[in-house]
Amino acid sequence: MSDLITHLMANPLAAVALTLAAYFAGERLFRAVRAPAWCPPILVAALLLAAALWLLGIDYADYHAGAGWLMLLLGPATVALGLPLYQQMGHIRALWRPLLLCLPIAAGMAALYAVGIAWLLGAPPEILASLAPKSVTAPIAIGITERLGGSVALMMGGLLVTGVAAIGCVGLVARWLDIRDERLLGLALGINGHALGTVRAFEIGPTAGAFASLGMSLTGIITALLLPLAWRLPGLIG
Amino acid sequence: MPALRGFLWLIGFLLLGEVLITLTGLPVSAGVVGMLSLTAWLVLHSGGFDDIAAAARPLIAALALLIMPGVVGIFFMLDELAGQLVAILTALLLGTLLSVFTTLWLLRRLVGDDDAGTREAINE
Repeated sequence: MSDLITHLMANPLAAVALTLAAYFAGERLFRAVRAPAWCPPILVAALLLAAALWLLGIDYADYHAGAGWLMLLLGPATVALGLPLYQQMGHIRALWRPLLLCLPIAAGMAALYAVGIAWLLGAPPEILASLAPKSVTAPIAIGITERLGGSVALMMGGLLVTGVAAIGCVGLVARWLDIRDERLLGLALGINGHALGTVRAFEIGPTAGAFASLGMSLTGIITALLLPLAWRLPGLIG
Repeated sequence: MPALRGFLWLIGFLLLGEVLITLTGLPVSAGVVGMLSLTAWLVLHSGGFDDIAAAARPLIAALALLIMPGVVGIFFMLDELAGQLVAILTALLLGTLLSVFTTLWLLRRLVGDDDAGTREAINE
């Protein structure tokens, strides 16, 4: 049995098939159990996939080598995000002045707070580098973490936690500050909660959704451009 | 074949990004540079992107699938992280609360908070 599995896993298509199967099974399970709103479908799918790998006794490194063929598509998919960004140009033009001021600060703070807190609690540099892009949409964040020398897997876990936390926090803080403007709610969700926040924003309304995807793309770009440069500043990692 | 033609465009922009970061030595990923080049190209040509859209839409829809191999890795490194879990979770949760507060507070000061804004955006 284990020989057969080793033989199969030598073919990258086996890993691709496992991923696809877990993805669709996760989607079905997600709908069937009516998972709570804060639980992203991808978490269900990832849990299923992890369970399958563990049950079949497949080494994660072997799986990852095969699944790398699937992740090859992340490059073109990242480039593809340029299309929705282009379609947001109207909003960018209308609000460019406050966005220009606010976005670098907000995106910077999203990284700085987390890295600062983890650093104070004594986390090593590799963990800091994995937490820094926590508010950036996954395809862009992978590129950033690789540049900073962090762990992609930990960064992905951090991304999931952040997305879920951002949805809760935006609801809480908006009630506290009494903010109802959909543009602001959407931007805050997109800037802090990447794709998960954007999905939530579309539930609030189309305006919130549009502004969330705008916030998500711009945060990704600004963080991708500035974080690797900031990382080179001496003393930051101590 | 529009999707494949569009796919070639996307790969072309990705490789352009690769060339640009190699030549300039910028510590940015090729995907981000390719994405910005694509946006710039679309702005300059305003329209005529049916091929690119045919490839871009399914790829964007499949993003969750494409990142799954990376997400799964977290379950296989929990042992490694055992000593750091408190620091990691505190940083993520408290950090997100603080950054959400900063963002909303800043946005309200800079953009202004009015329901007129919502109505205006809806009417666009």
